[in-house]
Amino acid sequence: MLLKIERFTDKIIDFFGLVTAVLLVLMILNVAFDVAMRYIFHNSSIGMQELEWHLFAVIILYGTGYALKHNAHVRVDFLYDNFSARKQAWVNVLGTIFFLLPLALLVIYGSWEFVMDSYTSNEISEDPGGLPYRWIIKAQIPIAFIFLLFSAFNFLLHNVNTIKGNEKPLVIEEDQL
Amino acid sequence: SAKKIKWKLAETWPSTLTPLASPPAKLAALMKEMSDGEFIIKVEGKEKHKAPLGILDMVKGGQYQMGHSGSYYWKGKDINTVWFTTVPFGMTPSEQYAWFYYGNGIKYMKEVYDKFGVYNYPGGNTGNQMGGWFRKEIKSVADLKGLKMRIPGLAGEVMAKLGVNVTNIPAGELYTALDRGTIDALEWVGPGMDIKMGFNKVAKYYYTGWHEPASEMQFLVNKKAYDKLPKKYQVMLETAMKAASMDMYIENFAQSADAWAKMKKDYPDIQVKTFPKPVMQALKKASDDVYAGYAAKNPKFKEILDDYTAYMKKAREWSMMSQYYYLQTSKELESTK
Amino acid sequence: MIGIVMFLAALLLLVIGFPVAFTFGAVALYFGLGAAYIEIVPDGGTMLEWWDEFLSMFSMMPFRIYSIMTNKILMAVPLFIFMGIVLQKSELAERLLQSMGTLFGKVRGGLAISTVLIGALLAASTGVVGASVVAMGVISLPIMLRNNYDSKLSCGTICASGTLGQIIPPSIVLIVLADVFQLPVGDLFRAALMPGLVLVGVYVLYILTISYIKPEVAPSVKRAEGVSYSANLKTALIAIIPPLTLIVLVLGSIFAGIATPTESASLGALGSMILAAMYKKLSISLIKEASLETVKTTAMVFAILVGATAFSMVFTYSGADEIVEQFMTNLPGQKWGFIISAMLIIMFLGFFIDFIEISYIVVPILLPIAQTIGIDPLWFAILIALNLQTSFLTPPFGFSLFYLKGVAPPQIKTTDIYRGVVPFILLQMLVLASIVIFPQLYGFKV
Ligand code: NA
Ligand code: NA
Repeated sequence: MLLKIERFTDKIIDFFGLVTAVLLVLMILNVAFDVAMRYIFHNSSIGMQELEWHLFAVIILYGTGYALKHNAHVRVDFLYDNFSARKQAWVNVLGTIFFLLPLALLVIYGSWEFVMDSYTSNEISEDPGGLPYRWIIKAQIPIAFIFLLFSAFNFLLHNVNTIKGNEKPLVIEEDQL
Repeated sequence: SAKKIKWKLAETWPSTLTPLASPPAKLAALMKEMSDGEFIIKVEGKEKHKAPLGILDMVKGGQYQMGHSGSYYWKGKDINTVWFTTVPFGMTPSEQYAWFYYGNGIKYMKEVYDKFGVYNYPGGNTGNQMGGWFRKEIKSVADLKGLKMRIPGLAGEVMAKLGVNVTNIPAGELYTALDRGTIDALEWVGPGMDIKMGFNKVAKYYYTGWHEPASEMQFLVNKKAYDKLPKKYQVMLETAMKAASMDMYIENFAQSADAWAKMKKDYPDIQVKTFPKPVMQALKKASDDVYAGYAAKNPKFKEILDDYTAYMKKAREWSMMSQYYYLQTSKELESTK
Repeated sequence: MIGIVMFLAALLLLVIGFPVAFTFGAVALYFGLGAAYIEIVPDGGTMLEWWDEFLSMFSMMPFRIYSIMTNKILMAVPLFIFMGIVLQKSELAERLLQSMGTLFGKVRGGLAISTVLIGALLAASTGVVGASVVAMGVISLPIMLRNNYDSKLSCGTICASGTLGQIIPPSIVLIVLADVFQLPVGDLFRAALMPGLVLVGVYVLYILTISYIKPEVAPSVKRAEGVSYSANLKTALIAIIPPLTLIVLVLGSIFAGIATPTESASLGALGSMILAAMYKKLSISLIKEASLETVKTTAMVFAILVGATAFSMVFTYSGADEIVEQFMTNLPGQKWGFIISAMLIIMFLGFFIDFIEISYIVVPILLPIAQTIGIDPLWFAILIALNLQTSFLTPPFGFSLFYLKGVAPPQIKTTDIYRGVVPFILLQMLVLASIVIFPQLYGFKV
């Protein structure tokens, strides 16, 4: 049962990962497009330039949860690597509960006013032709950290499964999506 | 005895960036002395809080009791905040101070900032800012078309109306961008601060200003924190803020005069230019169009615009009689010597 | 005091092996609770006020995160990583390095030297730590390992050439220092060029020497059997030209005023795809893999920045920076004593807080003293820049080390990286010392 839930949450996280990957390609094209518009056509839009960091922001925010599932967050490993799989799983379970969860909860809690200030004042870009609805990009902070919580839940499940002996390879290949 | 009051102030600038960072430092020093060490303000520069454009929100939220910033940075939250910094073709510093303290300026500040849960006070003036550094000369309105320029805010909106290609470049990359011609022009502040960025080494034409005739910085104070203060501290704080702002205006004037003398001596190639009359006319017309556009959508904007314009008309007459003619005759004397 | 304890606690907890980013953040969190207690409760505050103070401190996190999100200069990180991964996955990077390696003939260490040279080129088009370390890690680490290079030498070479971006202009370190020193950015850029090039030269010399003394750490790359030197030269050149053109185009776009340094990285990313297409290696799955990997690595870098920003937030809150300030005002007033102790303090602070804060805490105190002693500010700024660049390399918290670890194959251990950078740190200090002792050689009038 736990394993089934884990597989299901895996799919959701990988879907988010795929979306950020697509956004990354769009970001590359976006930046290159803006360079071309400015240099060749002397006509670039502030809105398009702001879109660059909007895309960047979404990529880094949601990428954090995706990277957690794929074990891409760097560790100091000289003890960790010599631990047994079970012991490693314990490190991850405790670390997630005592380090990651409180941190994510604090950021989510602190974001509420941050986003609401932007929403109630109907904040827009301060530059000519910039993007409206600043609250949408600001709201990505709490939403992405909720996604990180979700990812942490998946990570916990995975490590609990490892402790219980329901093992499986840590990284699921992308083409299993 | 009462508990010591410990406040924190966040500023938009790095704590070393004079003269912008001077008013908070001065304020903290004054408050400490005047209160016999009972009112302590800890100033945190951008390098510490790392959120230069989050000052308004952080003072509102109470993470800081005070902030020091520029009102027009909050243009995206409320267009009416621009009135308390400066506007294109607006008042000079003396005219504007008169409007703030003896006209309706402070009254409008209270009204506009009320919804943010903060009080806003004048926080020091940079004086008339320069029109910016240009790699090539602007001889006609046509030369502005397609010109790649970093110029934010309201002035950017005006420039965009004349076909300028307004570009956003992070401050850290501005020097390289101007040096390499990635952009053709940029506006910054004035000699005192421009010389530190080194723009004079990479662009030859230095245009006189039109778009920020009297940029006033701002002190923000969290309403709840202020209202809780004993009356004597409120008075002390307001007095200290006023003294600190005046001091920055003077400091900036002195720094700019020094910097300009140095620039002129070390870089004789710099060519100071004013935009030709047709360009200025086009800029003025575009500015009026921008104002009309906002006034049509926002009744408060129209109310302040009308008040501001009326006050400027009256104040300008006196500026002309008192300062302009004096400067003009002095200049004539100088040239006929 | 609390700062030192925080540092030790972070050190201990990192060793357990939970991800670095969250460990930093969590240490900040628990010490933040403690610092808020010290601030509130002894003054007669209630438990509730303590908790409010703590929450208010951490409600600044979204503002700091938002500053990272809106920092367009950081966009260079994913752009560079993507370029690196595409070049690696399409085997163009391998061809480039292998061919450069064969050109060295029997001279050993060719791959490492090529890595340094490519690192220097990338350094000229970015100023962000992380961007070039990760790109170099992706491009050249697997190839060096496959050619039986010593893993420590490989890691050290990559970290060191990756951080070159901090001293070779453009560089964020130099921009920040220009701001604090109130010197024109351009002056600092010009002054840093020579020390940067000397570093490149010293790295190359070191690699030549070590591979001469210990042949097993950097074997020479053999050209295929029966291929003459000139035939090999021809194939090598053909293999080198395309990727090198790409890098030169990226640089060229900056110098020709087409793009800002950050934007130029997007041309590099786009160019790498075009190049892969020319070699018939481009496919949807390649782009998908490359961008998924880029997302993971960029997020890893971002998470470390977030953890570190929480760490320095609490460090400042606890008043540790004031203690440092007080301590520094008591530095010796005599030239050599002053310079040496200033350099040691900056290196020490590099363990706790980021280079931006170091610059703003340290320089305003040191600068007036330096001026009374009669030290050239430009020279002093470059010394500090070199020192800060080194702080990205110094274990245990040097960011470059974490970034490389994040993209290295699993057989590379943290300790390999730690031990690998030691010789390069010594080289850095050597160059630093040479600038101190022979300023004239670097064009300073001291
Ligand atoms: Na300006
Ligand atoms: Na660089």
